[in-house]
Amino acid sequence: MRPIETRYALSGDVRIAYQVVGQGSFDLVFVPGFISNLDLHWEDEGYSRLLKRLSAFSRLILFDKRGTGLSDRVDAHHLPSLETRMDDVRAVMDAAGSGRAALLGASEGAPMAMLFAATYPERTRALALYGGYAHFHKWVMPPERLEAFIEAAETAWGTGATLPNFAPGRVDDAHFAQWWARFERLSASPTAAAALARMNAEIDVRDVLPAISAPTLLIHRRNDARVDPDASRYLARKIPNAKLVEVPGRDHPIWTGDVDRVADVIEEFLTGERAVTEVDRVLAALLVTRIYDTARMGDRMWSERSQRFQEIWRQQVGRHGGRLAGTQGEMMMSRFDGPARAIRCAAALREAAQGIGVASAQGAHVGEIELRGPPVGLTARVTMQLASHAGRGDILASRLIADLAVGSGLHFADAGRITLDDLDEPLALVQAMSEQHLEPDCRARTRTTEPAVLTARESEVVSLIADGKSNAAIAAELRLSEHTVKRHVANILLKLDLPSRAAAAAFSVRHTGPDGP
Amino acid sequence: MLTKTQAVDGAAIKKAIEGRDGKLLSSFYADDALVRVIDRNNPPSKPREIRGRAAISTFWDDICSRAMTHKVDTTIADGDSLAFTQACAYPDGTKVFAAAMLELKNGRIARQTVVQAWDE
Repeated sequence: MRPIETRYALSGDVRIAYQVVGQGSFDLVFVPGFISNLDLHWEDEGYSRLLKRLSAFSRLILFDKRGTGLSDRVDAHHLPSLETRMDDVRAVMDAAGSGRAALLGASEGAPMAMLFAATYPERTRALALYGGYAHFHKWVMPPERLEAFIEAAETAWGTGATLPNFAPGRVDDAHFAQWWARFERLSASPTAAAALARMNAEIDVRDVLPAISAPTLLIHRRNDARVDPDASRYLARKIPNAKLVEVPGRDHPIWTGDVDRVADVIEEFLTGERAVTEVDRVLAALLVTRIYDTARMGDRMWSERSQRFQEIWRQQVGRHGGRLAGTQGEMMMSRFDGPARAIRCAAALREAAQGIGVASAQGAHVGEIELRGPPVGLTARVTMQLASHAGRGDILASRLIADLAVGSGLHFADAGRITLDDLDEPLALVQAMSEQHLEPDCRARTRTTEPAVLTARESEVVSLIADGKSNAAIAAELRLSEHTVKRHVANILLKLDLPSRAAAAAFSVRHTGPDGP
Repeated sequence: MLTKTQAVDGAAIKKAIEGRDGKLLSSFYADDALVRVIDRNNPPSKPREIRGRAAISTFWDDICSRAMTHKVDTTIADGDSLAFTQACAYPDGTKVFAAAMLELKNGRIARQTVVQAWDE
């Protein structure tokens, strides 16, 4: 395949850079938001995934709006009107030989696409608007916040400082944050960025909405961080032939968050057919391991231990039949064919971490991942979020893991539910327990259920269990070996005739005296 | 629906395609016609299937809306079978080449299989 060619269309005397990709029977013009850079998009996994999905069913026409990316800059003292900018779409379509196209407008690209559809109905096959709005100040930011945004952008432009405004869910993703900083620099200078922000602030297309006759799809993420979802609800009421689909998520850029979900909705709307399930996806269990509480370690100590732990991680993953799936910052990801292997490996890693004086925190989840390349989709993101939420020594897994590991001899305790941006429903969680094999199958019936029968050490252990601590954490806190803690736990359960450590925790809470149980 | 329709033969198809006349092209098809397209995105084991004249009309409208040139050659007819090749070019120079096999029924296209390749 030859590299994608970038060409230039002439709109008046302004050069507009565009690319054409895909072999579909109809044309789809992507009108991007705030800033863009045709060359850089292909270097981000989410962006290139979106473009690949769209170009699989259409001839996709991409361009950088005037003022950004590879297109000519605008005169900051004489900002072009939205009508002029909209006409760039027509110029690009003419250059690409597109007489009629579906338009996908994202964010600021949406009002431009709406204006196009109202102006050139005969050239608009359909309209798909993602995270769009009709009036900037009403649904994006009021004038005073705009000034603050421009001021902040002018001083910190190019560092990626605007990322939290757009994709708060990706702020901790160091790799993406770096890409975002490049995205800023390669899309606009500080002056150009301020000019674009001012142009966008002028946007008010409320009057043209009733004039749109093309079938229109509106997509908005329910907790969109940048554009109020009410903006699309308003459009749904005002555009005659519109259908609104709200999807979960808060990251605003169309190429972040659950890209496939958005692409599915667009594909179904434009082709009338559901996206064909990908054949190159497989079911896998993912495990994300991190070192807990790195802040307490000095830099040198951290780097030594982290290196040592990574070596152990490589060994253990291999030993448990898993495959290394890359590291992202302090997150180490591995994949396994079955959930039981993932959990056993996690337990081994927890113990190994303890051995070198660090604590681990891990997340495990099961779902479909791409057969090729490192896992980057929904399953991977959920697993990473579980690892972030896991406490000291914890192995936090989705309930699915426990359900699929039935019969493996592993034990899990309920750990509530967690609400994640990407998911419609809260995800049920479990904690993987490791001490259960020390419990006797049949307990002697003892009537002694008063806390007094516990030794002082056992009482300490019970109250730490009630704090939700893992054996590893308790061992660290009491300066005991994990093995000893396991013994204590087994003895406590035996003495109190309780089935699980969760029950022991509940018992402890019920019997807390002034000095603890 | 057209009451008076043109006979479907190589010359008529050539004229409609080269003239980018989507309406005329669509009128050549039977109501329940099936067009199958095989290309990079639609492999032989899972070709794209366009069923019925309405969907086929949209398909041709989309293609004919493109400002490109089409040249139809090598029309071969044998009873109710028809075959032709088609060379197309976009204004930016991108070329597409397609070969089509058609089955006629009662003077209308009932089945068509298109195999196409694009510059890339």
